[in-house]
Amino acid sequence: MDNGMDNMLDMYLFETNSLLEQLDELLIEAEKNEEFTTDDVNEIFRAMHTIKGSSAMMEFNSLMTIAHRIEDLFFFVRENGIDSLNSTDKSELFNLTFKSTDVLRGEVEKLENNEPLTTNIDSITSEINSFLNKISGTEEAEAPVQEETPEVKAPGGSESAQKLVESLGSKCPFFLQIFFDEGCGMENLRAFMLVNALHGTELEFEFYPEDVESNGATSEAIIDHGFFVGLHTEEDVTKAIAVVEEQGSIQTYEVIHPEVKKQEEPAKEASAPKATVPVAEPVKGSTQPAGKEATGAQSQHAKQSLLSVNLSKLDALQAIVGEIVITESMVASSPELQGLKLDTFLKNTRQLRKLTDDLQDISMSLRMVSISGTFQKMNRIVRDMKKALNKDVRLTIIGEDTEIDKTIVDSISDPIMHIVRNSMDHGIETTKEERIAAGKDPQGELILSASHTGSEVIISVSDDGQGMDTEKILAKAARNGLLTKPESEYSKKEILSLLMLPGFSTNEEVTEFSGRGVGMDVVKKNVESVGGTISITSELGQGSCTTLKIPLTMAIVDGMEIRVGKTIFTIPISNIRQSIKIARENVLHDAKGNEIVKIMDEFYPIIRLHEFYNIEPEVTQIEDGILIWVEAGDHSYCMFVDELLGERQIVVKPLPSYLNSFNIKDYGISGCTILGDGNISIILEVMNLYNAANV
Amino acid sequence: MSTEQMQNTNLDDQDMMTPEADIPMERYLTFRSDGTTMGVSTDYVIEILTDQMITEIPMVPDFIKGIINMRGQIVPIIDMRLKMGKFADTTDATCIIVLDIDSSCVGIQVDGVEQVLDIDKSQISPIPVEDQQGLVDGMISLSSQEVLLFLNCQELIRTY
Repeated sequence: MDNGMDNMLDMYLFETNSLLEQLDELLIEAEKNEEFTTDDVNEIFRAMHTIKGSSAMMEFNSLMTIAHRIEDLFFFVRENGIDSLNSTDKSELFNLTFKSTDVLRGEVEKLENNEPLTTNIDSITSEINSFLNKISGTEEAEAPVQEETPEVKAPGGSESAQKLVESLGSKCPFFLQIFFDEGCGMENLRAFMLVNALHGTELEFEFYPEDVESNGATSEAIIDHGFFVGLHTEEDVTKAIAVVEEQGSIQTYEVIHPEVKKQEEPAKEASAPKATVPVAEPVKGSTQPAGKEATGAQSQHAKQSLLSVNLSKLDALQAIVGEIVITESMVASSPELQGLKLDTFLKNTRQLRKLTDDLQDISMSLRMVSISGTFQKMNRIVRDMKKALNKDVRLTIIGEDTEIDKTIVDSISDPIMHIVRNSMDHGIETTKEERIAAGKDPQGELILSASHTGSEVIISVSDDGQGMDTEKILAKAARNGLLTKPESEYSKKEILSLLMLPGFSTNEEVTEFSGRGVGMDVVKKNVESVGGTISITSELGQGSCTTLKIPLTMAIVDGMEIRVGKTIFTIPISNIRQSIKIARENVLHDAKGNEIVKIMDEFYPIIRLHEFYNIEPEVTQIEDGILIWVEAGDHSYCMFVDELLGERQIVVKPLPSYLNSFNIKDYGISGCTILGDGNISIILEVMNLYNAANV
Repeated sequence: MSTEQMQNTNLDDQDMMTPEADIPMERYLTFRSDGTTMGVSTDYVIEILTDQMITEIPMVPDFIKGIINMRGQIVPIIDMRLKMGKFADTTDATCIIVLDIDSSCVGIQVDGVEQVLDIDKSQISPIPVEDQQGLVDGMISLSSQEVLLFLNCQELIRTY
């Protein structure tokens, strides 16, 4: 039982969180356009409705009440159209919605941390109420508030309904009295849609009020008395009911037979289960004559084709698939089979290989999520800080479709947020005038970009703000006692990396958003914990750029296997330009005596991997081995290796964290992969290897 | 041989011993490394591997033998002899004990595995001289000739 409750809570948290996230995205988008579209309003309304419902089910009152208030608010907006608000009201509506979603999120966080919910939520509810009153005028405000008791109201009793029917003066013997969901809005149009649907069935019928299509005021009549469809025979009634049940947003319907007052048939029909079957749950009703699913239900199904899975299950799947792939190649290349003529076996193993490859691809892709979720959150942060700091900044997002492993997405969201905050707070100039004086666009720009390169995802946050003053950084570091050598010996790069030392915060004052003393050092730690690196570049007056390089734990990379001595390395194909055999006389030496080679009229240094890594090689003569011309970033050079083994798709695995603490990444060892025979190959990072070999 | 099997074979002996209920007993796997017998709590032990192909890693301290592929998981291997400042050597019985220390896997290469012992924790005495690396955090005498040293797993993976 407990377990069931936990699962429900998990589901609830998942659902509510994703709704809130969607909402945030939508709000940001809407605010950019300074307009809520009808779709937006409906979406917010729907989301709040869902949150309200599920919170009520879970008995989370504070969440329910707040969601309810917002629902009321947007009910009003939907009813009256967004155009009924003037621009100040609109911006207030935005702020209020942001604020309330924040409160909701706060409450949800409390649930996640097992803390008690806030009991006093008056401030936010009264704020929403007063805003609602303001935009609606008190009288109208009451209408949505009535919705507070959303229990199913008994539709007008047969008695009064029959009177109404009589008052319509129709000669139809049968009537359907239809009530739409309370607060669903646009009742007249819904009625008209129903009429259209009925037309489609070639039934003969009449309907009241007759001018539903053109007259919006009929909505009220429909709300109060229901929508009437007059029919001639009992058969028609059954058919019409089938149509009615297919329509969405219908709360109840009732069959009225005015001529045979209170006699068995209609009375039975009217009080029969159908009379109050809530059409909101159409699938459930066994009494339904037509077996078709209601449209509303269908759309819900479409949404639920997304499924949340516990990450640990995916991890387990991943591990097993990895095993299968390796076992498959072990079976296929068993030494016992050597020299045997096994046509069927070979054919079948080929098929098996194809299937395992597919399996691997799919299981890999399960873990990949796009980074857009994380990036969209930044929209919100930029928006809030823009308001609070009164800076005009636009956020440009590039490559938000980049996919990374789920675990990594989770762990880099905080670091990115921190960097964005820093850029907003310290990077972008305080006033427009400063920017104009510096000859820049008065609107600041923050660029958030993500891209794949080989085995890494590169995420960069750059701003076109004032840049970092290396003098100031140095002075501050000196004051904090962080310097380890004379000031004059620090290179620019080193100075910028001082920013990431514990206990460094450039801003003298602590602001709401950044500079709490825990700064870039925490960011650096977080990034390093997932095996990534972080670097800062900055030009004074031009802006700064913070780059995160995050390994793709589960990425599949095309790699070239090479051998040096007994060690097998893999170089990402994307880094390789060419492999060349050269004769000894083509090797030149530079001033320091380093080996260089001339390819296509350019000189490139040669790095002998066996010397660099101190491996016992099989070949030392340049003409016996092979040169691999590689390129990464601005660097291009040649690696001297024993032999090329071939190209292969590899699954990148991170090195154990224990090994990472020996900084082997700085020597170009970025990860490893498991070969077909179960052995391990080390993946080389071309850029770091070059840096390490030259420093 | 899996740990589970090992524990089972030793279980029979222990059942007969019926330790008193209030004595804090803990189960230790004992192994040899260059003549010393050491013990590690079975809570840490995941499995014992023999004949494992170790891939060497450049640019790491000597005592790191390399990495192995344990069912798709990459596990670093520490040579206990080198880690303790002794000479490297392998025998026929040389094997790897895979430990789970703070949910990261580390293998130690030892000269051989001995047995699983139930040890009364209150009998463990501190080591008389602080060894330079803090790798051992207690000892107990097994017989008149033999002492068992307890491996400090946290210290083992500390990298400073």
